[in-house]
Amino acid sequence: MKNYKKLKITTLFTILLSFVNISSAYNAVPFESTYVPMPHTNTLFRGANIYDGEGNEFLDTDLLIKDGKIIALGKDLPASSEFTVVDASGKWITPGIIDIHSHMGVYSAPGVTTSSDGNESTSPVTADVWAEHSIWVQDPQFALALKGGVTSFHVLPGSANLIGGRGVTAKNLQRNTINSMKFPNAPHSLKMACGENPKRVYGNRSQAPSTRMGNIAGYRKSWIKAEAYLSRLDEYESKSDEAKELGYKPTRDLELETLAGVLRGEILIQNHCYRAEEMAMMIDIANEFGYKITAFHHAVEAYKIADLLAENNICAAMWSDWWGFKHEAYDMVQANVAIVDQAKNGTGCAIVHSDDAIGIQHLNQEASKALSAGLKAGFEITKARAMKWITSNPAKAAGIYDQTGSLKVGKNADVVLWSKNPFSVYALAEKVYIDGAKAFDKEAGIEPSSDFDIGIMNPNKNRIQE
Amino acid sequence: MNYTKILFSAALIFNIYTVEAKSIVIKNAMIYDGINDNAFSGNILIEDGLIKKVSQSSIQGDTVIDAEGKIVTPGFIASDTEIGIVEIGALSVTRDDQSSIYSIGFSIHDAFNPNSTLIPWNRSNGITSAITLPRNTSSPIGGLGSFFSLNGSLQIDSEQDIAMIGRIGGSSSSSRSEMLALTDDILSFASTLNNKSMKSNLDINQIIDDSSLADYLELKPRDVKALYRLINEKLPLIIKANRASDILKLLELKKKYNLNLIIIGAQEASLVAKEISTSNTPLIVNPTNNIPGSFDELASNINLSSRLEKEGIRLMFNASRDHNYHLIRQGAGIAVANGMSYGGAIRALTSNVAKSFNIANRGEIKPGNIADIVIWEADPLEPSSMPEKVFINGVDMDLTTRSTRLRDRYIKNLDKPNTYRD
Repeated sequence: MKNYKKLKITTLFTILLSFVNISSAYNAVPFESTYVPMPHTNTLFRGANIYDGEGNEFLDTDLLIKDGKIIALGKDLPASSEFTVVDASGKWITPGIIDIHSHMGVYSAPGVTTSSDGNESTSPVTADVWAEHSIWVQDPQFALALKGGVTSFHVLPGSANLIGGRGVTAKNLQRNTINSMKFPNAPHSLKMACGENPKRVYGNRSQAPSTRMGNIAGYRKSWIKAEAYLSRLDEYESKSDEAKELGYKPTRDLELETLAGVLRGEILIQNHCYRAEEMAMMIDIANEFGYKITAFHHAVEAYKIADLLAENNICAAMWSDWWGFKHEAYDMVQANVAIVDQAKNGTGCAIVHSDDAIGIQHLNQEASKALSAGLKAGFEITKARAMKWITSNPAKAAGIYDQTGSLKVGKNADVVLWSKNPFSVYALAEKVYIDGAKAFDKEAGIEPSSDFDIGIMNPNKNRIQE
Repeated sequence: MNYTKILFSAALIFNIYTVEAKSIVIKNAMIYDGINDNAFSGNILIEDGLIKKVSQSSIQGDTVIDAEGKIVTPGFIASDTEIGIVEIGALSVTRDDQSSIYSIGFSIHDAFNPNSTLIPWNRSNGITSAITLPRNTSSPIGGLGSFFSLNGSLQIDSEQDIAMIGRIGGSSSSSRSEMLALTDDILSFASTLNNKSMKSNLDINQIIDDSSLADYLELKPRDVKALYRLINEKLPLIIKANRASDILKLLELKKKYNLNLIIIGAQEASLVAKEISTSNTPLIVNPTNNIPGSFDELASNINLSSRLEKEGIRLMFNASRDHNYHLIRQGAGIAVANGMSYGGAIRALTSNVAKSFNIANRGEIKPGNIADIVIWEADPLEPSSMPEKVFINGVDMDLTTRSTRLRDRYIKNLDKPNTYRD
């Protein structure tokens, strides 16, 4: 994971900007984040028990947030009149929960065919499509996830395709355009998928791929095209301005632009992959073409190659215990997350993800189950460390760790106040702050409702209003 | 009741050979008995696979297990599963949950595989028995589920064909009004059946020939027999329905045909809770499902279980996605976190299932009941806590699963190649 620290998001974004500018005659970068935080409340949380998302636990400690940022964490911080004081004694504070694998918005609720927009399953390689262009911003699932403490989430295309398209990271603040929900300066990801899904979808049409070997050939063919495109691009960009005017400018190709973005290290690979041997092969392909895999998703068999993942600085995003729904999910072990976490002297990067609109509301409980299984397997893992699985580790995998994912001073004030220890099933998120603004407050009755929720059952009420 | 008799005596003989001690005492238990709201401290005597005594004073036995104050519950009964008839969800060759020939009378009973990996898995999660149901068909009612003990014995301990399933709701192919009318017509046909005229399949074929509906639906004698049982034996009829208006229509049908109705799904039940309560209709709900997943489920709310409990409705729990029946525990915990009573949540996992499906002598810790008992390492509704011991028919079960074997293979004896490890 150390690689991410090298990825300075600002430089990365500048590179991205220049890249798009060169390949376009026009200057407007499309689909940029226009996110503006809600008005923040400067708040002092008094006497909380805290998991900071960096692996530390602080008991009876204060947390100070100001101007949308974390500014201090410590005992007996001085109060002043500019701060709203929240008595957090006996309660728990964590960073906002981050889900690295969500399909909210692209598979919205209600799950109707007209809003089923997660898989562009018309061709096995659709690197040109972007999940954000499918997102229905009125999906009522966002608000439900918020009540589960989720402050940021990464939306991916589905897994029908070998290369399914770009994923996007969003703030969990529902807005009426997707650009205004997009996490500022977050890199795009590219969804790839191993195994059963692509070969089933296309094999059923008597089209490639219909086998796992067909899958592998498909990825490699795409990267060969991407390499060629990138070298044309590099060649053009290395020319002097005069030479550029005289020379041939490579025609933009949306599919290859995305793949070239991966080869340049600007777009992060999120790879749906269940089986150990397939993950190992995907690492070989990444090495063959010189790109990096950020995370394997679902990764039911990650425990079989945990050291290999750690050596390659690849995260595994996993469920705590889902299994058996298909053959490649048959070898589930509940200690999977813990084994990945503990690989190579605890240098593994384990993430608990949801891939599910119910699961995303209880990621704390999923982490709790995974921790419990790890302890039973004989590992010594603290709750504070396990909290990283749903906060800082997914933040790293989404390329937003410099901004959120832990309660480090200077980071965004994405904060959850829990009624009890969040590793308990009885813990409820009481208050959720995004960039220091209160997005949810159970006690005060502050909660968002999407346009879908308004007057849909009773014209005078919201959908689930009592 | 025409249930296939459980092979209980065979199981007992088997037990005698495998268990040295004749009696087991679980002492210092904090007992949630599946009856009372609160736990009590006590001791349990198990003999011949049965609970012989539950007492606060000490009991003598051949084997004494000290629960050290831990929580002890009846083995949980999963009310809505495919355990034993589906090994891998997406592999149709491992699915035995549907028929293209039989409809209403299709029974999954004989497909049950006691060697399924789901059995040790669920057992290790404290589920000691389950109701296994076929997949819903295009017919609004049809398909029979059975009850199975999860002891994994090839001498299958079951109650055959204890419930019929059905479904009413939004569909891309037909109006719910058509589904309701067809249900009404099928039940009306079922009401005309009487045992005297059904002595042989020849007789039943005559009944089918005489009914335009039965003929149209291409019913077979098995289907007609199942309909006879539905009405005359008051077989539980589990209808999947979510929309409030659909639930009310089902309550009307229940009244009209005197059905033993159970509604599953029931995402909008809180809107018609009084009516459900008045009609004494039990519900199977998923306490974690607050997603308005369809236009039939707009009122989905995380406090559903709590609101229904307050109306005095008998609840059972299910979980979404196949292979995730163990999540009923976590679901029960979430129900409690959102206002349901703890004792009520335990009953929803135990005695409420036994009562609603007429499963004799299970779901409660009381003398005379079958000794399906779990000692929990901590709170059973915390998904992080697991069973320490599971007894089925009084036998202390092995809690190893394929999953724990795989885990151990990758954390122990790493000096050997993986295929030469245990």
